[in-house]
Amino acid sequence: MPKHYRPPGKKKEGNSAKYSTRTKALRHLQVTLPTFRKLCILKGVFPREPKKKYEGNNKTYYHSKDIAFLQHEPLMEKFRDIRAYDKKIHKAVAKKNDELANRLRSRKPGYTLDRLVKERYPTFIDALRDLDDCLTMVHLFAALPAVESEHIQVKDIHTCRRLSHEWQAYISRTNKLRKTFISVKGTYYQVEIEGQKITWLTPHALQQVITDDVDFKVMLTFLEFYETLLSFINFRLYQEINVNYPPMLDPRLEALGADQYALSKYIAGSSMVESQAGKVKMTVESELKLAQLQHQLPANEPGALMQLVEGITGEDNDDEETRECKGLFKDLKIFLSREVPRESLLFVIPAFGGIVSWDGEGAPFQETDDGITHQIVDRPTQGHVFLSREYVQPQWIYDCVNARILLPTDGYMVGRVPPPHLSPFVDNEAEGYVPEYAEVVRRLKAEAKKEVLPMPGLENLDLDDPQSLVAEGIMSRTEAIEIAQKKLKMDELEKRYHEELQKELQKLPYSAAASSKKNADRIDEEIKDRVDRSAKDVSDMDQIVRTRKQRGLVKAMEMGIEKKAAKVNLLKKRKENIEKAPASKSS
Amino acid sequence: MSFVKHRNLMKVYNKFVRQKDENLKRRNIDKKNKKSVQKVEEVKEETQVHALEPDSNVLTDKEKNKNKISKMKRLNKVDENEDVEHGEESDIHPAVEESDSSEDEVAPRNTIGNVPLKFYKDEEHIGYDISGKKIKKQARKDMLEAFLARTDFSKKLIVHDDYNDEDVEIPKEWQELIRSLLKGKTPHADVNPYPEYVDWVKHDAVHPMSNAPEPKRRFIPSKSEHKKIVRLITAIRKGHITFEPPKEEKRIYHDLWGDDSSSTDKSRQGLRFIPPPKAKLPGHEESYNPSLEYIPTQEEISSYELMYEEDRPKFIPKRYESLRKVPAYDKAVEESFARCLNILLCPRVRKKRINIDPESLKPKLPNRKDLRPYPITCFLEYKGHIDAVTSISVQVSGQWLASGSKDGTVRIWEVETGRCIKMWVVGEAVNCVAWNPVPDRFVLGIAAGQDVLVLNTGLGSAEEQHRVKQLLNIDAPSGTDNSDDKSTPIVSWIKHDKHEGIRLKHIKTVTSVEWHRKGDYFSIVMPTGDSKAVLIHQLSKKVTQRIPFKLHGHPVSSVFHPCRAILFIATKKSVRVYDLLKEKLIRKLEPGVREISSIAVHPAGDNVIVGSREGKVCWFDMDLSTQPFKILKCQPKDITNVAFHRSYPLFVASSENGTAYVFHGMVYSDLNQNPLIVPLEILHTTTHGRGVIDCSFHPRQPWLFTAGSDSVIKLYCH
Repeated sequence: MPKHYRPPGKKKEGNSAKYSTRTKALRHLQVTLPTFRKLCILKGVFPREPKKKYEGNNKTYYHSKDIAFLQHEPLMEKFRDIRAYDKKIHKAVAKKNDELANRLRSRKPGYTLDRLVKERYPTFIDALRDLDDCLTMVHLFAALPAVESEHIQVKDIHTCRRLSHEWQAYISRTNKLRKTFISVKGTYYQVEIEGQKITWLTPHALQQVITDDVDFKVMLTFLEFYETLLSFINFRLYQEINVNYPPMLDPRLEALGADQYALSKYIAGSSMVESQAGKVKMTVESELKLAQLQHQLPANEPGALMQLVEGITGEDNDDEETRECKGLFKDLKIFLSREVPRESLLFVIPAFGGIVSWDGEGAPFQETDDGITHQIVDRPTQGHVFLSREYVQPQWIYDCVNARILLPTDGYMVGRVPPPHLSPFVDNEAEGYVPEYAEVVRRLKAEAKKEVLPMPGLENLDLDDPQSLVAEGIMSRTEAIEIAQKKLKMDELEKRYHEELQKELQKLPYSAAASSKKNADRIDEEIKDRVDRSAKDVSDMDQIVRTRKQRGLVKAMEMGIEKKAAKVNLLKKRKENIEKAPASKSS
Repeated sequence: MSFVKHRNLMKVYNKFVRQKDENLKRRNIDKKNKKSVQKVEEVKEETQVHALEPDSNVLTDKEKNKNKISKMKRLNKVDENEDVEHGEESDIHPAVEESDSSEDEVAPRNTIGNVPLKFYKDEEHIGYDISGKKIKKQARKDMLEAFLARTDFSKKLIVHDDYNDEDVEIPKEWQELIRSLLKGKTPHADVNPYPEYVDWVKHDAVHPMSNAPEPKRRFIPSKSEHKKIVRLITAIRKGHITFEPPKEEKRIYHDLWGDDSSSTDKSRQGLRFIPPPKAKLPGHEESYNPSLEYIPTQEEISSYELMYEEDRPKFIPKRYESLRKVPAYDKAVEESFARCLNILLCPRVRKKRINIDPESLKPKLPNRKDLRPYPITCFLEYKGHIDAVTSISVQVSGQWLASGSKDGTVRIWEVETGRCIKMWVVGEAVNCVAWNPVPDRFVLGIAAGQDVLVLNTGLGSAEEQHRVKQLLNIDAPSGTDNSDDKSTPIVSWIKHDKHEGIRLKHIKTVTSVEWHRKGDYFSIVMPTGDSKAVLIHQLSKKVTQRIPFKLHGHPVSSVFHPCRAILFIATKKSVRVYDLLKEKLIRKLEPGVREISSIAVHPAGDNVIVGSREGKVCWFDMDLSTQPFKILKCQPKDITNVAFHRSYPLFVASSENGTAYVFHGMVYSDLNQNPLIVPLEILHTTTHGRGVIDCSFHPRQPWLFTAGSDSVIKLYCH
C-alpha cells in the first residue's frame, strides 16, 4: 500500500485538506494566473504557511478557505465578462470595423471596489492601520510620468495627485503631522490619526527613474485598490471636519499648480460656511458659487483667513500633542524661494500653524511683504537681503518640526552646510549611539522647557557591587563590567598613592615620571585582565547551569547583541577618526 | 566590333527617325493649315538667332539648346540646297523635315521589298530598277579602305545602310541626339516628357461604348440599405445605440464605515486577516545629510565589493551638502514594486517575537553570597616538589597533607604552616597517595610504578605509633595470599627495605589507592591488569583478594561506598556498582560521556559525580536513575579529578586548563527534592602543563587543596 493511500470515500485530512498549492487553486478557480493575482491583490488574500509543506518547500500554499473566499467573489464573474467583451473588441479591430470597436471601447463594463474596501477593513481604524503602503504608493505614482507603453494612464497620475493633495490638506488642516524626515529616498512623514501612527514616503519632486524589470500590471492593480481606499478614507476624514468631498477647487489656482493652497482655501472656506450656515446641506451650485467667492477673497490676506479658521476649529477635543504642533510656527510668516521643495513645505508649515507663501502667481503674499519673518532659501548665496527676516535652509523647518522647538537659525544660514539631519524615528538610547547633534537638540529642548539635565559623565552609580546590580536587573552586564573595572582601578590608584606618600615620608627621591607611567600602564593592563577574567568566569558559570537549548538561544542572542555593538563601535571609531583627521591636518 | 556598333547605331537612327516622324505627324494634324505661316516664322527665327549669337553667353541653357536645334535645322536646309553630291541622302532629310508625303516622293534605292537581305547575300545585285536592270551592289571596300574611312580625321560618323547598300554620314548634331538617346536622356530640350493626356475616347460622348440602357436599380432606393437603416433606427429607438459619448461618470463617495461602533467583524469571512508588517522606518544613515560618522569610508565601500551579495549592505549612506543637490532616488519604483510583491507573495504568519534578556534564561538560583563559605582565594602555597604533583591527600584530622610527585618523592606537610615535615624518596614517579581514614592510624598508602607502599609516617603519640608498627609488621618474609587457592601469588607483601612500611609488588602499574572507611581494606587499580585490574588488600591480614566480578573495559578508578559494603568501579565508559557482601552487580551508571576520568561519591552515598575527559561533570542520583540527573558542561579540556567535601555541601572539579570549578551541591534528605547544584567559583591556579592534576577538600574546613603540574600545592580558603 502506498504511503499516502486514501481509501475511496474518505475525505482528505490534515494539511493537504487545509491548504492547496497555487497551481491547484488556479485549476479549481478556473482562472488564469494574472487574473488570480489580480483577485488576490484586490481581495487581500495572501499565501499561508502550512505546518507541513506537503508538496515541497518551493511551492506557494493558500488556505482552502481563502480559495473558497475567492471563489464566491462576484468580481471573478465580472472579470470573465470583461474578458469576453475584450474579445468582441478584438474581433471588431481584426475585421477593421473601427466604428464598432470604438463604440465597444467606449462602453466597456467596469467595476468598483467599494464593497471590497469595506470587506477588507470592517472598521475605519483597520483601514487607517493599513494605510502606510497605500499612501506611499499613491504618492509615488503622483510623481511618476504617464507611460503609455506601461499602461500608466494620465488619468491615474492625476487621480493620485489629487488624492495625495486631499490627504495632505486634511493633515495640514487638522495639524496631525508629527514627524518628518528627508532621506535620500524621499521625504518621510508620520501622522497620528485616531491613535494610529501612519508613515509614508513621498519621493523627491524630480523626474523618476523607471526601470524595465518592474511589472507595472501588479503595481497598477495595487494602485487601483489603494485609490479607492484612500478616496473613501479622505471622504470620511473630510466629513469629520464638515467639508464636502470631493472638493471643488478654485480653477485659477488649480491651473497655476497651487493645488494645495487651493485645497486649504477650500477647506477653510467651506468649513467656515458650514459652521455659519449651521449644517445646512449645500447644493452643487452653491459650492460652485463658493469656489468663485473664494477666488474673490482677498488673496493677500491669508492671515485673516487663518484666524477665522482658528476661531472655528479651536475645539476642545484637540489633544496635548496637537495643540503643541499647532503652535510651533504660530507667529511665523514664511516665504519660500522658488528653488525649495514647495509642495512639501506648503504641506509641513501650515500643519504646524505657520503662514506660508511662495514665489509665483497665485501666492497669498509677495516676497516684499514686511511681515515675513523667515525666508526659506536653498542657494549658495542670497543676493538681496531683507534685514527684517531670517534666511534659512529648508532643513531648518524639518528639524524644528522633529524637535518641536524653534531651533537657532545660525547653523542653517544660506551658504552653510547645515548640521546633520537626523531621523526622528530612531530611539537613540535603545540603539546605543547618540549622534552629537541629537544631544545638542535634546539640551535645547530641555532648555526650552526649563528643565535641568545632569551633566554628562557624572553618574551617581553604586560602585560597590556591580554584580548584585546585574542580578537585580538594574544595569546590563557590560555596564557592570565597566564599573567593576573603574572600581578596581580606583582602588589600585589609591594604593599607589599611599605608597608614594609613604615614599615621600621616607624622603626617597621621587622616581621618574616615565616609570610611574609604565607602572600605571601595567596596572591598567592587570586590572583589565582581572576584570575580563572575572566577567568571563561569571558568564561561564551561567553557561554551566543552562540547558543545551538555552545555551543555543543565549548564543544566538549574544550574536545579535554583538552585531549591534559592533555597529555602534564602528560609528564611534569613525567619529574618532573624523575628529582626529582635522586635528592632524592643523598640526 | 565595329560592325555591331554600327548596327546598333543604325537601329537607333531608324528608331529616331520613326519617332520624329510620328511627332511630326501629330503636329502636322494641327498645323496643316498653318504650314505656310510656320515657314515664315522659321525664317524669322533664323535671323533672330543670328542676331543673338554674339552675346550667347548671356543666354540660358534652354535658350542655347533652342538655338542649337534651330541651327541644326538651318544647316539641314543648307544641305538641301547646296549639297549636290549627297543628293540621295538629302532626299531623306527634307522629307523628314517637311512632311510625311515627301517619303513617298523619294523611293528607296532598294527594290527588293520586304525580303531578308541575306537572300541577296551572294548576289552582285540587289533588286531591279524600274527598267528591269539589275541594281548593282556597290563595290565592297577592302579592309584597308574601311579602316582609313573609319580613321578619317574629319570625325564624320559614317554608317553603312545595308538595305540601300550605301554609306550614310550622320551629321554632328544628330550624333549628339543619338548619343543622348542611347544614354536614355531626353533627346533635346523640345521634348516634353510629360505631355498632357488627351482623352481620345470619351465615354459620355455622343458615341457611348455600350449601347445598353441604364438599369432600373439606378433609379429606385436600395432595399438592402433600407433594411440596414431600419435596423439602425430600431436599435437607436431601443437605445442600443446612443450617439453622444458616455459622460465621465462621477464617482459617488459615501461614508463606507458609517458608525463603527455598531459594525462587527462579520463582513470579513474566512480566516483571520493578518496585516502585512509595516516597512522598517528609516534610521539616521538614510538621511540626505547624515552625521559624518554614518558615511562609510572609501575602504569600507570597496570592501563591500568583496562580500557576498546577500551580506552586502543594500543601502550605502551618502551625504549631500544641501537639499537642492539631492537627486531622484533611482530605486524608488523598484523598491515599491518589491514591497508590492512582498505583500502579494509572501506567506504571512503571526509570530511572537520575544524580546528577552539573556539573563532571564538563567534558572533561578540562590545567590552565591548565601551559599558561603566556599573556597575563594589562594591562602597558602606549598612549595618543595621539583616536578608536577600528581596526587595529594589530607589526613582525616585535617592537620597533615601528603603529596606525591613525579620527581619520585612523597612529602608530608603541616597544613596550617605549610611546613614540610617529612620526605621519602620512593624512586619512581608517584601516582597516588592516600591517608588511612582512621584518625589515629597515621599510615599512608602510596602507588608508585608497579609498587604500592604502605608507610608508617611516624606521626602521632607513642601508643599510636606502637599500634601502627604492629600493624605494619610482617612476620614471614613471604606473606602470601591463599584466597584463590592458587600457588602463584598475585601480589607479594614485602617489608620495605628503606622506609618503615610494607611494599606490595604488583604485576602492572598501579594508578590509584583507595582506602575503605574502616582503614583495614584498600583497593588498588591497575588499568592494564585485565582480570586482576582491581584488587582489594587487607592490611591486618596482609591478604590480597581479587574482586569476584568480570570487568568490562579498562578500569579507571574504584571507590568504596562511604557507609555500606559497596564498591564503585569506573571504567572508561560506565560506572559499575557492586555489592561486596552479596557479590553481585547492583547498578550500572551510564554517563554517556566519551571517557570517564574520575569519580567521587557523596558522603551520604546516594549521589555520585563522574568527571569525563571532555569537560563534563555528570551528577547521578542513584535512587533516581542510572542516567545522569544533571550534566554540567564545564570547560573544553579534560576534567582530571572530582571531589566531594565531607561535611560541607561542596564539590569540585579540577581541569587540565588549570582551573577548578567549585560547586554547591546540596543533597536533601527529603526524597522528593532534587539536589541543588549551583556553580560557585572558578579558581584559576596554573596555566601551563596539565593544569590541576589533583584536588582535595579539607575534611573539616571549606578549604580546597589543588596540586598542579607547576609542582606547587595551593590552599584555597573562604
